[in-house]
Amino acid sequence: MNTRPLLPQGAELLHPPTRNKVYISLLLAFALTLLPWMEQIRWLVPDFTLMVLLYWNIRAPRIASLGTAFSLGLLTDVARGVVFGLNALAYCIATFIVLLLQRRLEGFDVPRQSLQLSPILLGKEVLVLALGLAMGRGDADWRWLAAGIVAALLWPLLAWLVDRITAQAPASRQTPL
Amino acid sequence: MSSAPHAPLFVREMGLPTRFGLYVLVCLFLLGLDARYATLNGVRSGLNAIIHPVQMALARPWEWLLGVGGFFVAHGELAAENNRLKRQQELLAASLGDRIAIEAENTQLRALMALPPRPGFTLLPGEIIEASTDPFTRKVIINRGSGHGVAAGWPVVDANGLVGQVTRVYPWSAEVSLLTDRSQGAPVQNMRNGLRIIVSGQGSDNFLEVRFLDMHADLQPGDLLYTSGIDGIYPAGIPVARVAKTEPPHHTPFARALCQPLGGVGRFRHMAVLVPTAGVEKQRVEKQLQPASKKTSK
Repeated sequence: MNTRPLLPQGAELLHPPTRNKVYISLLLAFALTLLPWMEQIRWLVPDFTLMVLLYWNIRAPRIASLGTAFSLGLLTDVARGVVFGLNALAYCIATFIVLLLQRRLEGFDVPRQSLQLSPILLGKEVLVLALGLAMGRGDADWRWLAAGIVAALLWPLLAWLVDRITAQAPASRQTPL
Repeated sequence: MSSAPHAPLFVREMGLPTRFGLYVLVCLFLLGLDARYATLNGVRSGLNAIIHPVQMALARPWEWLLGVGGFFVAHGELAAENNRLKRQQELLAASLGDRIAIEAENTQLRALMALPPRPGFTLLPGEIIEASTDPFTRKVIINRGSGHGVAAGWPVVDANGLVGQVTRVYPWSAEVSLLTDRSQGAPVQNMRNGLRIIVSGQGSDNFLEVRFLDMHADLQPGDLLYTSGIDGIYPAGIPVARVAKTEPPHHTPFARALCQPLGGVGRFRHMAVLVPTAGVEKQRVEKQLQPASKKTSK
């Protein structure tokens, strides 16, 4: 029995996600990946851009959709100096899956969301590695998969943070049973 | 289902699967285009010109933090370091003097033997500002670009030896492919007996490999490998690697050798681009033209 109201209530009604909020937070997350991370922990740094992108896919699917994912992917490709379209493809696939499951993900509380999203976050790293292997770019360094796990672990923190910054009601209300 | 947020608001809007399919097609097209042809380099360096200033600005607070941290280092440590550096500088000055003397002697000897003078290169020091975030490549970005006169193809060295080669040039930065990158190779000569071989990167930070080594080649662990200079890119005589071990052929007609790079490939922050002086560039062009003219004269 879903007792969720038809219209958003309270804080969310007063501060709906706007284009500005979505794009600025996405660019901030992208900037976070550009920081000069130390060489030793580089492979542990999660893909913040993808995490915030998925957050907005769940929260504001009309604003952050495939086009946003594609453009961010291209930017990431340039920043990482890899083949054009590699990250764009990974982001588009992740966004597509999340948009398909959007209704379900919206209803979960944050820890469960993180569990649901972990295959997607990990799958993105697998996809990037596998595409690299398929294009004959050498042996895969499987350590980089750790970034996907770290991303799943950091999801609750990130969701809380973006909720706070954009002054919204908590990202997911657990529907009372 | 019509209330789902991704369902089209208007009937003529494309559905989610259609849009997804289109985006995937565009991605695959870009992948193919960029992997096979160099047509997207303009787009890439344009986008990089936008991202680069942001990256520099983001690195700034980090440097300040490091600077503030360094300010509180104990006085004794600084004094000790000062002493050590002074001594080191004296040593360096002495060795520089030696070097100048040796260089002078060398040019004299070369003149004596009527050999062409060794290509002159000037050093353009640079600093690594970013390492590639890609598990497959061994590349770094340095803070010297086409604005400083750097061009793709120039060799990059550090105090100990060869580091790699400039592969892409952006307005204020350049991408250096390290010697350990899989796509990189360098023609070298064994110092002990003059054997000419090619070492290539294999994607690991610690080892280079000699892929197709003649099984009777005289190469032993401990041999020093120097660039031979026959490729026209790397000047001769830069230390490259020390042979770590040789492997007899297994299923192939060729043996294989593993070498340790001598330069601080992937370890140091500073490196220098070898900038060919104008005369060398001219010489190289002439050298390329010479065989052609010889052919015509015959």
